[in-house]
Amino acid sequence: MDSGRIRFFLSEVRRNFARNLIMQLTAIGTVTVTIVLLGGFLFTRQTLGAIGGNVIEKIEISVFLRSDATTAQAKRLQATLEHDPRVRSVEYVPKAEGLREMRDRLRGQIDTSLLTSNPLPDALRIRVVDPARARDVATFAAKQPLVDKVEYAQDAVEKLLRVFDVLGRVGLGVIALLVFTAAIIISNTIRLTVFARRREIAIMQLVGASGLYIRMPFICEGFIDGFAGAAIAIAVLAIARAELWPKLVVALSFLPLHAAAIDGPMFGLQLLGVGSAVGIVASWLSVGRYLRT
Amino acid sequence: MISLRGVSLVYPNGTRALDAIDLEIAKGSFVFLVGHSGTGKSSLLRLLYREQVPTRGEVTVDATRVDKLRRSKVALLRRNVGVVFQDFKLLGDKTVWENVAFALQVTGARTKDVMRQVPRVLDLVGLAHKSRMFPSELSGGEQQRTAIARALVNNPKILLCDEPTGNLDPSNTNEVMDLLHRINLKGTTVLIATHNAIVVDRMRRRVIRLENGKIVADEERGYYLAAGGDRGTAAAEELELVRSRNGLGTNPLFSE
Ligand SMILES: Nc1ncnc2c1ncn2[C@@H]1O[C@H](COP(=O)(O)OP(=O)(O)OP(=O)(O)O)[C@@H](O)[C@H]1O
Ligand SMILES: [Mg+2]
Repeated sequence: MDSGRIRFFLSEVRRNFARNLIMQLTAIGTVTVTIVLLGGFLFTRQTLGAIGGNVIEKIEISVFLRSDATTAQAKRLQATLEHDPRVRSVEYVPKAEGLREMRDRLRGQIDTSLLTSNPLPDALRIRVVDPARARDVATFAAKQPLVDKVEYAQDAVEKLLRVFDVLGRVGLGVIALLVFTAAIIISNTIRLTVFARRREIAIMQLVGASGLYIRMPFICEGFIDGFAGAAIAIAVLAIARAELWPKLVVALSFLPLHAAAIDGPMFGLQLLGVGSAVGIVASWLSVGRYLRT
Repeated sequence: MISLRGVSLVYPNGTRALDAIDLEIAKGSFVFLVGHSGTGKSSLLRLLYREQVPTRGEVTVDATRVDKLRRSKVALLRRNVGVVFQDFKLLGDKTVWENVAFALQVTGARTKDVMRQVPRVLDLVGLAHKSRMFPSELSGGEQQRTAIARALVNNPKILLCDEPTGNLDPSNTNEVMDLLHRINLKGTTVLIATHNAIVVDRMRRRVIRLENGKIVADEERGYYLAAGGDRGTAAAEELELVRSRNGLGTNPLFSE
């Protein structure tokens, strides 16, 4: 490629682009909206995931032992459970400690000094590796000798998991729809350019330009639409992240938002890649359809 | 150079444009293709630059079986076959120089070659001094010469012309025919489909006559009209017919 050839190629691309400026801006705008929403969605999902993980991690299974269980037996059961691969940790809570915790929790609500004896049994507190298997672990623990009763926030865990699952699916659907829309609009833009340039294309074909050479300016145009749209979207997201995010963290300080760490530059590059790819694929398909004679 | 064997062309709508054509055209010849409107002249030319594929038969151009050519090789064929049309097909937003250079640039030619070849063909067609003008600033003859320069810039061995003088007045017609003659003298095979009786009769070259998609006459030093008729008056009548078909008429207001 000498400089004259590059200059000729660029001037062809520029002509294409200028031929239908309004439509190009529409295409770029659509990509911008799509990528902003995509970026926002991915970020939200990551944040929710982090918050959810934080909550789920804290979910415990309480195993209450029969009152005739000795400390040694309780420790043996603790060891058994700890050996289970589904179990992250098991904590032994003797009844004296259980009472102290309960007093702390209920302080100011009822007068705990009224308790003359300790009504609580000894207990084990299990944390699981995967919250989705909490039910299995609970069932397993309930079958152990000397176990009186097993409690855990079964409904809460399962509902939370279901919500995340649905959110993920809906989000993916919405994004697929957005990407599809952007692709259609880019592809229409390219088709308009192809139509506006049909004389040039006919002459190129007549004088023996290769198919790739004829396509290239249009592919380039689609790439520019996708790339520019994504670049603007990334700027929008970066500004939002710098201006709005810190305020949100403060406003919602009861949520562990700081847990949602994200690699900004890497994320930006990925979005840029998505935008460019949509532009290239859309234009490739629409030019290909037209040029097949 | 060009050979057709048992070639038929039936368009998708069922029109039989060519019917069992056998034809040989030698390297370096100058050949007219004549016949009434709709007898298949343009269709025959389209087979040679692979705009159409024959329904039946073999088409060979410069030792290449054009009818069997893969899509990816069509571009290479077209660099070897220049084509010129009645309506010039120039790009209005490009200058003469850019129109001609375009044909080289889109084949990925090096700038060095563009700078050498474009002035060469503009010189040949006598338009070097108008290279910075736009098509709308040229006469019909000059536009057609620009189109010829574009067809020649890739150094094709064959030049196909479909009614190259159809939109031109007599003096521009002579200009263009002289040019085609000179191009032929340099060794390029030239094949011209035309309705212009005067041109054919003055040049006295090989004339292939089509009728309903068949070759009905093929004469070495032929005339526009078939032997036997009154050539003088018949030629004038035919020319009148063609002019009115092209919407030109004899009214000087309408002739370009
Ligand atoms: N693309 C096409 N599809 C269907 N039929 C066609 C097509 N092109 C040409 N024809 C038909 O094929 C026949 C031959 O057409 P062609 O254009 O080759 O004639 P021609 O000799 O060049 O006529 P003219 O002197 O008017 O240019 C005509 O009947 C025409 O209607
Ligand atoms: Mg014709």
